[in-house]
Amino acid sequence: MSSRPAEVFDLGYHGYDGERVGRWARRDAIWRDGIRISLGLGRGVGAKVAPWLLLALALVPMVVLVVVAAFVGPATDPDDFELPSYGDYYEWAMVPLALFAAVVAPLLICPDRRDRVLSLYAARPITPLDYVGARWAAFATVALGAAWAPEIVLFAWNVLDAEHPGSFLRESWDVVPRFLAAGALVAGVLTTLALLVASFATRRAYASVAMLAVIFIGEAVGGIAEENFSGGAADAVSLVGLLQALTDAVHWLFGDELDRPVSGGIALLWLLGLSLVLAAWLVRRTNRLVRG
Amino acid sequence: MALVQALGLSKTFGSVRALDAVSFAIDEGITGLLGSNGAGKSTSLRLFLGLLDPDSGTAEVLGQDARSSPEVRARVGYAPEHDCLPRNVSAAEFLAYMARISGLPRTAARLRASDVLRHVGLFEERYRPMETYSTGMKQRVKLAQALVHDPVLAFLDEPTAGLDPLGRREMLELIRRVGGEFGISIVISTHLMGDVERACDAVVVLDAGRLLRTGPVSVFTEETETLEVELLEGTEAVVAGLRRRGLEPALHGRRLTLEGVSGEDYDTLRDVIVEAGALLYRLAPARHSLADVFTGEHDDERATEAAP
Repeated sequence: MSSRPAEVFDLGYHGYDGERVGRWARRDAIWRDGIRISLGLGRGVGAKVAPWLLLALALVPMVVLVVVAAFVGPATDPDDFELPSYGDYYEWAMVPLALFAAVVAPLLICPDRRDRVLSLYAARPITPLDYVGARWAAFATVALGAAWAPEIVLFAWNVLDAEHPGSFLRESWDVVPRFLAAGALVAGVLTTLALLVASFATRRAYASVAMLAVIFIGEAVGGIAEENFSGGAADAVSLVGLLQALTDAVHWLFGDELDRPVSGGIALLWLLGLSLVLAAWLVRRTNRLVRG
Repeated sequence: MALVQALGLSKTFGSVRALDAVSFAIDEGITGLLGSNGAGKSTSLRLFLGLLDPDSGTAEVLGQDARSSPEVRARVGYAPEHDCLPRNVSAAEFLAYMARISGLPRTAARLRASDVLRHVGLFEERYRPMETYSTGMKQRVKLAQALVHDPVLAFLDEPTAGLDPLGRREMLELIRRVGGEFGISIVISTHLMGDVERACDAVVVLDAGRLLRTGPVSVFTEETETLEVELLEGTEAVVAGLRRRGLEPALHGRRLTLEGVSGEDYDTLRDVIVEAGALLYRLAPARHSLADVFTGEHDDERATEAAP
């Protein structure tokens, strides 16, 4: 028999008299929830498959290339094996990143709409802008990580592989802000577009199909305009191919010379302007959805 | 100071006038916002939460307008009428999240979530996905999420909707506990007068966007001077005995009523029942019901409209 004295626990209701945190902490809670949803954390295996597969598709090829360069590169002729440039790798990673945005971003808004949870957010001490801003930041954070990670791997390898890493860093430091800016552009545009499209659907599948349609129909229209027509109007229409416009802008940020009908600088301005318009639309749309 | 105050509150949706210059105040305790569908109950709640802009007038909660001061919602809870729970998330996780976005730190939010779920009777099931819950359990989670941040006041929109009689009784008992033991004031929006009679201290009656009546429930349901008597046997003999002694009972099947009774009439009734050898089943003063109030108001209105 235990010698521990008996204790009486008061299981009655106790109010909460402790600290209450401010608005930033509440936004932080929504942001963390968004990160968990984006990566399927705390959910079943099924919820993890799509995000981690697509993130791996963006990152793993670069890791493989670097490993190949490390073990095979020194034995081969430099002309036979060359690592991709920073801009080239973004060009390749654009497709998995767009798929990631199309498949995963709707999870941050569609279930809240379908299950009508938005009415509960509306009754909390947050604004619709807090909600959508934190959701946007959450997905953009994951997308940024996916966009930057391969570039960081490439940059780290280039530093380690250099004959004099110190002097390489001094000479090539400017590539860091370039790939950070390029990643921010890709993540920002894809996040804003994907969340806006998702805000019009209650089912994730519909939102994903709609997002893919916007991207690939835009690519087709832009491609046709570029291939078959010439002049200012055709050049303007070619910008509706968002992935191509993103690729052009990314190459422009890295200072790559490309023979394109519209310069990368113009594409960058178009994408920034478009993102602002889409973001304003997303805020307005969310305001309507949250306030019912 | 009143917890909730409406002053000349009006709201129109297209051609429908949901609220028409309504003024009332709600104090601490449990208050029923009673009215039929379209009376303006849910519109009132949404105006108090700052989710709608009034056409005119003011809607204040805890002395503030929630549209200009969203912070006031940190001390207010809300459970809507419709389903509002995510399917594949556990109640514990969801409540902790709701507590955090209401301003509780992470550890406190988790503890409060478990504690409140225990109080609403869902402690054992708190880690199950909510899509596996019954309607009654979901109503309890809706109540729990409205209380998880320990508000001063909670708005519950039709909290007994979809519940069977037992579930409804349990929910009303829970609401009484919240209002009493927890010390959280409650405003229930409902079209069920029985819910108001069983759970509320005060009532605000709305009808077609206008204020019909407001006051303590006890005033509406106070005892009347009518005595109700239910007999299993000997009803006719009792009626005859009462008439012989100058009383005029009205007979409704086995039940008879006596209007305007005094203390002596109770003695007379007792003697008559004994003399007649009748079997007494129930004897009690009749009470008004909210249904009488509603019916009376509508009768008055009809009479006014019919008057030349």
